[in-house]
Amino acid sequence: MGEQHENENGRTGTKNQHQQKKKKKKSEFEFCKACNINHDQGLRHKYFPNHKKSLSTFLSRFRKKLSDVRFFLNAPIPLNPQLASRNRFWCVFCDQHIDELNSSFACANAIRHLASAEHVKNLKQFFWKYGGAADQLDAFMVSDDDVDKWEKKCTARKDEASEGSRRTVIGPSSDEMSIRYLVQDSPELPLVLPLQKFALVQIIFLCKILQLDVVAFLSLMMVDNGQVMVTPVIKRTHWLVNSLVRENGRMVSGESSHQGVQMVTQISTGSAGGKVFSEEPPPWLGTTDEVQMRSSNKLGKSKKLNSKRVGAAWVEKRKIEMEKERRGESIRNECDSNWLPNFGRVWQSGSRRESRKEFEREKQKLNVETQSEMAIKIKPYVSKRMRMDSGGDYASG
Amino acid sequence: MSDMLTTFTKKKEVDTIIRDTFDKVVVLRFGRASDLVCLQQDHILSKAARDVSKFATVALVDVDSEEIQVYLKYFDITLIPSTVFFFNAHHMKMDYGTADHTKWIGAFYAKQDFVDVVEAIFRGAMKGKLIVNCPLPPESIPKFQILYKDV
Repeated sequence: MGEQHENENGRTGTKNQHQQKKKKKKSEFEFCKACNINHDQGLRHKYFPNHKKSLSTFLSRFRKKLSDVRFFLNAPIPLNPQLASRNRFWCVFCDQHIDELNSSFACANAIRHLASAEHVKNLKQFFWKYGGAADQLDAFMVSDDDVDKWEKKCTARKDEASEGSRRTVIGPSSDEMSIRYLVQDSPELPLVLPLQKFALVQIIFLCKILQLDVVAFLSLMMVDNGQVMVTPVIKRTHWLVNSLVRENGRMVSGESSHQGVQMVTQISTGSAGGKVFSEEPPPWLGTTDEVQMRSSNKLGKSKKLNSKRVGAAWVEKRKIEMEKERRGESIRNECDSNWLPNFGRVWQSGSRRESRKEFEREKQKLNVETQSEMAIKIKPYVSKRMRMDSGGDYASG
Repeated sequence: MSDMLTTFTKKKEVDTIIRDTFDKVVVLRFGRASDLVCLQQDHILSKAARDVSKFATVALVDVDSEEIQVYLKYFDITLIPSTVFFFNAHHMKMDYGTADHTKWIGAFYAKQDFVDVVEAIFRGAMKGKLIVNCPLPPESIPKFQILYKDV
């Protein structure tokens, strides 16, 4: 009985120790790159729905960056040393920065890195740890065959440059390659390169290489979904601005060939689902015309007479009267024959009107005097004696 | 030289030029063609008339005409030649430094004197002034005496 009791005690002790170990394990935290959080959920974290959402977002974002690299993988372009600092690439699986300072072609080091064994190893480890689908691995790698093709193209490009004879970049073979490229990669890689990756200088550089008109190229740029989009060259004459709509950022592998064919037809006909640029003149020409119009208007203005000058009001009234006279509405009055201007006389004591009135009074006085004289002269003659006799009779009577 | 400028002998003609001239100085010289000093004045006016034609109109008025007697009394013209200035039918005065501010009595000594006087009147009129200062020095202004009213 005592021995049995001892055995039971030992068992419970071991159990307790085991439980303590479990607690320690659970308390450890881990950082998840996709979710950008520290969690203590252990290995089962990768099966949570939030984690899956974050992972898909994370991978799609990186896939967009890879599309730029794949563009140069199919069409190698010499890299200008001035632009090398901008053509760098951050690999999220290897956690390292890939520079292009010493490379002669765009994204050369990036392409080599994506094909390297170390990158493949890190990629697989990432997918194992964070639970990505195995069939998506190829999207984030570059096969050796592709690298060989790319190197051949680079060599050919160098030979062309050394020969000095510039050929057209777009020929029948180029068209076939571009079509093939569309068919193969269209379901996963949109044919849209955001302008953020390209500086204006680089765009001009591209135009020079492809022997295109810079002004025409710039005028064809459009703003789509808050980003300025540029499509790769399909025709030699001009670019097609086309935006491809994706459904929830996912593409079904079964329908890839079908959609590829659709896209080819869309581009060829020129009527795509997105926005298609029409043959409109650039908007800055209209602005220039407006500016010219404004400047011409300013020059046309003429001066005006000072409204405070002497007799300004009188001039306006007088001009109106003259117009009426011309129409024949009103006829000049005979009173005008007596009209006099307002004249400030030498001995003026009041206003000029008063001096005129004063003169008119003087005029009237003269007339009165003249009349009185005439009346006096007209009287008949009466002798003194007649006056005396009449006076005497009156006195005596 | 009197033939170069228009001579008015009727009141209506004088009224018309005063009333129907806009934004220009009207210069009316009252005198007679046979007077020697009037001839001198007319000579200067005729030479300067073209130079001041943009802002002034010059005309002569015959004092021997019957209809003009009204103006002689109204303007108190007793000495000839007398030059009177109007702008938009308003009489323009000038302080010559003499007793009479209403008219220029006598002849101008030089053509430039006349041009300066007319210019000063025009500038003052465009600013809204009815009396302006004379730009000529006192030596260039003829001297004369006037009697108080009818004395």
